[in-house]
This record gives sequence, structure tokens and C-alpha cells, in this order.
Amino acid sequence: MASKYAIETQGLSKIYGDTQAVRDLDLQIAKGQCYGLLGPNGAGKTTTIHMLTTMTAATQGRAWIAGQSVQQQPVAIRRSVGLVFQESALDRMMTVDENLQFAAALYNMPPKQANQRIESLLSVFNLEKKRYQKLVALSGGQRRAVDIARGVMHQPEVLFLDEPTIGLDLPNRRAIWRFVEQLRRDEGMTVFLTTHYLEEAEACDHVDFMQQGRLRPGGQPDDLMRRLAAYILEIHCADPDKVAKALTPEFGTPISEDETLTFRVASPDVDFYQLQQSLGAAVSSMQWRKPNLNDVYLWTVCHPDEGALL
Amino acid sequence: MSWLPVKAVVWREVSKIFRQRARLLSSMVRPLIWLLVIGSGVGSMLDAEAQGGYLNFLVPGIVAMTLLFAALLSALTLVYDKEFGIMRMMMIAPIEHYWIVLAKLIAAIITALVQALMLLLILVVLGLVEWQVALWLMPPAIMTAVVCAAMGGLIAVWSKTLDNFAVIMNFFIFPVFFLSGALYPVAQLPDMLRYVVLINPFSYGVDLMKHAVPGLDTDFSILTNLAVLIGFSALAVLIACWRFSRDSVHEPLFHRVSAKR
Repeated sequence: MASKYAIETQGLSKIYGDTQAVRDLDLQIAKGQCYGLLGPNGAGKTTTIHMLTTMTAATQGRAWIAGQSVQQQPVAIRRSVGLVFQESALDRMMTVDENLQFAAALYNMPPKQANQRIESLLSVFNLEKKRYQKLVALSGGQRRAVDIARGVMHQPEVLFLDEPTIGLDLPNRRAIWRFVEQLRRDEGMTVFLTTHYLEEAEACDHVDFMQQGRLRPGGQPDDLMRRLAAYILEIHCADPDKVAKALTPEFGTPISEDETLTFRVASPDVDFYQLQQSLGAAVSSMQWRKPNLNDVYLWTVCHPDEGALL
Repeated sequence: MSWLPVKAVVWREVSKIFRQRARLLSSMVRPLIWLLVIGSGVGSMLDAEAQGGYLNFLVPGIVAMTLLFAALLSALTLVYDKEFGIMRMMMIAPIEHYWIVLAKLIAAIITALVQALMLLLILVVLGLVEWQVALWLMPPAIMTAVVCAAMGGLIAVWSKTLDNFAVIMNFFIFPVFFLSGALYPVAQLPDMLRYVVLINPFSYGVDLMKHAVPGLDTDFSILTNLAVLIGFSALAVLIACWRFSRDSVHEPLFHRVSAKR
């Protein structure tokens, strides 16, 4: 069945014993989109990915990948998707080449085609010289790169990345994202990702938030950040109640954590230097900056009463 | 359905035999110790004529033991792959999940047969077995390897972690071996133990192998042996495939991996 959506779900739910891991998930992700599903540990993100990739059966609801039913055509679905798991799925006692050749054979790729694909994928990550080394000899970032290469070996239509950069340092994280971006550009893949590093999701076309198995619809990251505030104002003070009382009429209710108050500033024309002077000794330090996805997450998921953005 | 993915899973396992040479060597030492030490020890309690007969009696049992250990341990790589996360690479491949079990069992059969063949070659070189007998032992060895792999598959799909390994060794492999007629004639066992031998599918593999050695008494007919071996293997493989396919989607393997972090 031809579909304009790469991923579509209707009332998708998963129950483990007494725990409802995912509740009534309705998604429509267009082809070629980079989609981010964000949320805390245990929110149901990985379970969602596993249901969509046939790795676990949904308790209720339906899902389609590129128009194919996940429930009725599991083998066809696994041919259409690539999945990079949170933890490595590679055999550490085998070489990079052996692991990738094994993955290629599992996707029924002829050896010649597999060799060409391995060569081109390793060159993107500058791992050509590591091709015949055992995986144990590679750094964490290099192993992760091989894991992603394994996931895209068969040029899937939809690539699922479950926390792809977890535990990696900044240069490796950046390298991984450059690679994912190149794949999207060159191969037109739809990317479905979950990540704890919310700033990485700013490159997504669309993000949603998940909490306790429920989806909290989001939007385009730039739009979400713009709608949240013009600036985020953080004030460190000895008496937060007093400062909050003074500024709430102008900026609304802040998020209060220990001795730090965080305000959303809607107007782009606030004179923060003057504000700092007017608050005087009541403030230990004050900083303002443009909002990012962490702020959106903080206000809308962690403190929805103060945010009410989504 | 293409055979390339199945071939890849089989080759990954079989190639380990040649990669892990120490393991291969140790798998030859165990049966030789049994044959030479236990065979000579027990044989010394018998009269001179019976002594040679006991060594002859032990040969099919010891070859069957090699098949049992090799096939079971190879089939248990299903658990190893689950535990170390490698199974996920196979689970996400576009093949029905039961093919993973079948491929693993084919690999277990090949691994076991390679080891049995090497043992027989050593026994021929040592002059403990005539080469004609070694050749005759190979066809029943194939059937015995199949039943051992099927038993291994059944255990593997029910085992959640490798922590169960010692339990499996003590409560499964050793009883299956000792109560199979590999070390002593079934007819001489007490009634209760004989009944256990009768419900042990490995006994029929050992007995089939005894048919290949001239002059040895056997407990069952070739037809009975074949019927039990084929019947049990088919049933065990079906259950293992069903269980693995069902378990893999209803209780994901991945949670176990994550829980270990």
C-alpha cells in the first residue's frame, strides 16, 4: 500500500504486566523527515521503537512503516528499517569487516555489493584502516560508528536510532550526526531518533515528547523554542521567594530550583542590565540567553503547569 | 527465502571451531581421558579377555559424548548471543526468527560432527579403532548430533542467562550422558535407572552407534533408534522454533541486556 507517511501508528500501546509502557500512541511521520522522540528514562521511547521495528509485539493498536503493516508483514518491515540499538549489537571478537559482512549477509546482500557498501560506509567515518581490526581494538566512538554502519548497511527506508550518541564524547557525537545528516541527504532516509542530548534534536524536522508512556505533541524545534520565549532568564539569589514575587507580574511564574529561578521572557526588548541594577544586592548572579530544546523540555514536560506550551 | 542469511549464521558459528584452537584441543582431551583412563581403570577390574571388549564397548559411547558436549555447547551460543547483545543483529534481519534457531542448530550439528571426526581420526591413528569402524560410525554420528543439537536448542530457548550454565552441566549433560548406556550396558542397570535410560533420547543415539561396531550387544533395533531419534528431534526443533519466535516478540531479549548495565 502506497502511503505518504514513512511511519504511522494508531492507538499503539504496550503493557508489561502491571506497567503500561506506551499508551495510545498516534503518530504520522512524513517520508524523509528527521523525527525526534524525547523524554526521560522509562518514558516508553525504546518500547515504541521496538514495537515499530517488530522487535516486540504491541498489546493494542496498529502501526505501518512505508505503508506496510508492522503486525502483518514483520519480515518486510525488517527489510525496510534499520535499527541502531542503545547498546552495541556487534560481536566484539570479530573484526569490523567480519561484523559488517555478517550484517550484509543477514540482509541477503551479495558479497560484491556488500564489499562496496562496507568500503563506502567506512570511508565516511575514516575507518578504512580499522576494517580488519577486531572490534575490541576500537574506541567507543569508532565502535558506535560501526554499529550505525551495520544499521544502514542495507540502505533502509527508515532508520531508527535509539540514543545513538549515548556515552560518546563531543567530537564523536558530532561525527555521528554529520554521518546521519549525510545519509539523509544522500539516501533520502527517514530518521526516527531518541536522545537524551536534547540539543542534538534541534536538527530534527519535528520533535515530540514522551512521558510515562504518553505522547505530548511537540513541533518543529525552532518553532517550539520561539514559542517558549524570546529569552530565558536565570537568577541565582539568596531569597528566591522575594525575587519571584517581584518579577512574576512581568515575566510570569518561574521554575524554582534551590536558589535558582528560571523565567520565560516573552519580550525581546527587555533591558536586562537595568533589571539587574534594579534588583541590586538581592541577586547573586543573573544570566539570560536564547531558549533551547532543554528549556522547552523543562517547561513543557517537567513543569507543564508553568509552561502550558504544548 | 534466501539461504544466505542462514549460511552466514552457520558459518559464524562453525568458523569459531578453527578460531578457538585451545577449545578444540580440550574437546579432544576430554574423550581421550575417558577412554584411556576410565576405560583402562574399569577394564583392569575385568579379566584379560573382557578388558579389550570394554575399551571396544566404550568407543561409540565416547564418540557420542563428544557429540553431546559439542552440540549442546554450540546450541547454547543462542544464550551467549542473547546475553551479549549479538542476537539483536540477527533479530532485526529480514528473516523469520525460527530460521535463527534452525541455523544455530545446523551449526551445532556441523561443529559436533567435526569434533567427532577429529576424535575418530585420533583413535584410528592410536590404533584404538579400525578405520572401517570409524567410517561406519559416521552415519549414526550424524543422527546422534542431530538429537544432541535438538536437546541443546530446547535448553537454550528456555535459558535466560549463561548463569544457568553450571546448572545445565550438572543437572542435564552429565545425567544424560551417564544414563545413556554409553559407559555400561543398559540391560545390567537396575529397573528404575533403566526406565530413565529409556526416556533419554541420547540413549538411542549411543545404541545406534553401537550397531556400527562389530561384536557389540545393542539394546534396541536400528528402526527403533531411528524412529525415536527422528521423532524426538523433529518435536524438539519445532518446540524450540515456536518458543524462540514467541518469546522474542512477547518478552524482548533486549530488556535483559539493558538490565545488566
